[in-house]
Amino acid sequence: MARSVWKGPFLDGYLLKKADKSRSSGRNEILKIWSRRSTILPQFVGLTFGVYNGQKFIPVLVTDNMIGHKFGEFSPTRTFYGHASDKKSKRS
Amino acid sequence: MRICVGQILGAHGVRGLVKLASFTEDPEAISHYGDLTDQAGTRTFPVELVGSNKGHWIARIDKVDDRDAAQALGGTRLFVDRAALPPPDEDEFYHADLIGLRAELADGTVLGTVAAMHNFGAGDIVELALPSGKRPLLPFDRETVPEIDPAAGRIVVDPPPGLLDEAKSGDVQP
Repeated sequence: MARSVWKGPFLDGYLLKKADKSRSSGRNEILKIWSRRSTILPQFVGLTFGVYNGQKFIPVLVTDNMIGHKFGEFSPTRTFYGHASDKKSKRS
Repeated sequence: MRICVGQILGAHGVRGLVKLASFTEDPEAISHYGDLTDQAGTRTFPVELVGSNKGHWIARIDKVDDRDAAQALGGTRLFVDRAALPPPDEDEFYHADLIGLRAELADGTVLGTVAAMHNFGAGDIVELALPSGKRPLLPFDRETVPEIDPAAGRIVVDPPPGLLDEAKSGDVQP
């Protein structure tokens, strides 16, 4: 069953404080968080979080289209390396 | 430099067709880079894709006409020359060009090497291999990776504070 709408999105409380603190300081830092279950809110867009996957912190740069998803979706706990082949990365 | 783009998995049917795994970003691109070779580059495999089945390609290889010949190729990894890949756009890099580069700080201190590139849906990530055995992950952006010089075999990284030393004493889960 889906979560009741009247409750609003789930969020561990400390994340908002951490995000506000980071925004006000204006420093480019990675916010280490363990809360994979928290929903990504519009306030987080533009910030980079380090989302713990049980081993290390995976950098997650929050963009518009990630709103409503959970942090854990972007920090897999099992890593498949695969082949480099013809894969490319663009520097943002 | 040769880049592995696929692997022959085994025979398909009795007419010399083979099952082919493609490692390229677009699976069909395995047939776009010209003739494929083995790792040493001594044997060439002109491949023609004839269909797909259960997540892999069915392909015909020139001069492979029966099942025994197709089965004998099972496990062969297929390579293309790096020069056969089209040039990337500006600020775009092939993973094959980045992996293995030396990662240095701006002052020239060597941190380690580039071990892998990832993208888990939230931007590209560089994985470094440090001599200590740690493998920190850094965002692949201009602030964190200001300089990339594949010709010189190095990238310059400026890791955000606290990212490299992951187990700091004051860093606790709330």
